[in-house]
Amino acid sequence: MSEAVVETHGLSKSYDNKPALRSLELNVPRGSIYGFLGRNGAGKTTTMKLLLGMLRPDAGEFSLFGETVRSEASSVAARRRIGFVSEGKDLYSFMTVGQMIRFTRPFFPGWRRELEEKYLKLFRLPLNRSITKLSKGMRTQLMLLLAMARGAELLVMDEPTSGLDPIMTEEVLQALADLAAGEGMTIFFSSHQLAEVEQICDHVCLIDEGQKVLDGVLDDLKSQYRRIVLVFDSAAPAALAGLKGIDHLRRAGRTASMLAHVDVEGVVARTQEFAPLSVEVHPVTLKELFLDHVRGE
Amino acid sequence: MQLRVNFSSGVPIYVQLMEQIKHAVETGAVRTGEQLPTIRKVADDLAMNPNTVARAYRELEREGVIEVRHGSGAFVAEVETGAKPVAIAQASEGLRRAIEAGARLGLSEPELRRVFEQELSHVIGDSGAASSATDKTPGGAEPGGSGERSSG
Amino acid sequence: MLWYKAWLETRWRFCFVAGSILFAWAAPLWAPLFHLRPPAGIPASRLWLAVHMASVLLYIFAAIFLAGSGINSQTTYAATSGFHPSMLFTLSLPVSRRRLLLVRAGLGALQTGVLVAIMAAYTLFARPEATTAPQFLTYLARAIVCTMAIYALSTLLACVFDEMWQFYGAFLSCIAAFLLQYRISVLSWLSPFRGMSLISYPITGPMPWASVIFSLVLTAVLLYASMLIVQRKEY
Repeated sequence: MSEAVVETHGLSKSYDNKPALRSLELNVPRGSIYGFLGRNGAGKTTTMKLLLGMLRPDAGEFSLFGETVRSEASSVAARRRIGFVSEGKDLYSFMTVGQMIRFTRPFFPGWRRELEEKYLKLFRLPLNRSITKLSKGMRTQLMLLLAMARGAELLVMDEPTSGLDPIMTEEVLQALADLAAGEGMTIFFSSHQLAEVEQICDHVCLIDEGQKVLDGVLDDLKSQYRRIVLVFDSAAPAALAGLKGIDHLRRAGRTASMLAHVDVEGVVARTQEFAPLSVEVHPVTLKELFLDHVRGE
Repeated sequence: MQLRVNFSSGVPIYVQLMEQIKHAVETGAVRTGEQLPTIRKVADDLAMNPNTVARAYRELEREGVIEVRHGSGAFVAEVETGAKPVAIAQASEGLRRAIEAGARLGLSEPELRRVFEQELSHVIGDSGAASSATDKTPGGAEPGGSGERSSG
Repeated sequence: MLWYKAWLETRWRFCFVAGSILFAWAAPLWAPLFHLRPPAGIPASRLWLAVHMASVLLYIFAAIFLAGSGINSQTTYAATSGFHPSMLFTLSLPVSRRRLLLVRAGLGALQTGVLVAIMAAYTLFARPEATTAPQFLTYLARAIVCTMAIYALSTLLACVFDEMWQFYGAFLSCIAAFLLQYRISVLSWLSPFRGMSLISYPITGPMPWASVIFSLVLTAVLLYASMLIVQRKEY
């Protein structure tokens, strides 16, 4: 019933023969706050640029708001409903805060004056200050304001809270939570701040080297994934790698640690074959999921 | 009702919310018929995702802990008096014996706490299906058959 | 609002060029302060010729300098290199790249046209002989159209190169074209440079239709090519 606001199929892109995105499959449900995670250079910014028409895909296709975007015209039509915050938070250095707002407003017939005023006050942005004289934090806030006040249905943001102090970060997260609740907006953002992602996102997607390695509802991932830690009398056996149903085995001396998310009890039962001294089953945090999937063997 | 969430925990957030609301109901912090804060208010106050709050409320409604009246909001449902306090008393009794047994084995307070929290999160983490662990008879934490224990 | 943005981006450049021109034209006023005088005995018509040739060079300079950088944002103080990061903001707006280019190119063209008009007016009305209004307007029309060909060239180069190379490339192309027109007579007939010049085509003589039409066609082709490039570019 809730259609996907963003869908990609087989999306691929290379720069100078080096692949940045490999056949990416994304599905961002309407009304979700979707955290897009990955190491630097994993392809997060590339994905966003492809969605917004700044880059053309080498292969694959994507759709926004249920419509496949194939031409510039359909890209322009989609952008009327999208607010974007770039990683560098760069705006026109020859304009002031007020001018940037006045410049951006006419492009969006659905511009929400109340939101503009609300965030101007909340972020305490001085209308007459030139962009060059704003700190990065304030530029971020201005860019967020411009994205949020335009009455968009989808926000695409590249590291929206980088460079913000904890108070500003909380204000931004609150604003996003508010938009999702009140306006039913879909929010798609990339971040390195796992704590924020855990706070605000209901869906997460982890990409590594241009490919999706994990995605799903965050709470469900936490319910399903478990870390199983085994301690042995002597060195942990390499044969553990053959255990059915485990992800990412890591061995260190007499300890072996692995993740499992399907039939955890079955996996634990099977570990008995290796006669461990002890077996522990722990819940898994997002940070562990991230590190394991990106660094796992 | 003060709700606090540990976002970095391995315990799903909606589960944490559910547990806290249930606890508030049991201890009388919110009474039958009292209105719960709206989903939006909870999300705003905690600066968290409203969908997650909505999920917690949905599950609570499914479990019969709250009632959602269309247009008015969420209200605490009829609490069966008697059943819970008895259950709480029994559980406390069992836990006390387990702690005493652990103390007799020479475990210190931090160690006991660690064992307790591990078992607790393990149990809660199985999507609230507390029965997946083997039966714990009151009077001791006996090693069970599924191997999901830590050992000294 | 794109026009407003383009104006904010380019107003200092425009003022710089306009200011330089006015300063040069005001020479008769400030030169005597420095005891600068044209050598005695030079007839007024010769002086006028020199002024005219200088103004033609200035048309070309203005066209190249004001042609902008495709759809890239520009800063006042630094030469545009690569693409300015605020491009991402511009490109995220619901505007086609074609419109971005046309507005920016359009404003630059207007600015160039205004400066050409000022210079043309000065040279014509400084003539020893009187100039009638129709004569002025005909000259103005052909001067602007021929200058636009240079402008379009600079715009096209801007879509491909950084600002520095855009300028070098445009100036070098003009020099090369100028020299070539003396070798290949067909080019001479079509040349925008000659179309702008009152020496090749005096005010009392016939309209250089070949130059004018060729300039129009060239402008259209170069602008269309710029548009294709800008639409296919990746940011």
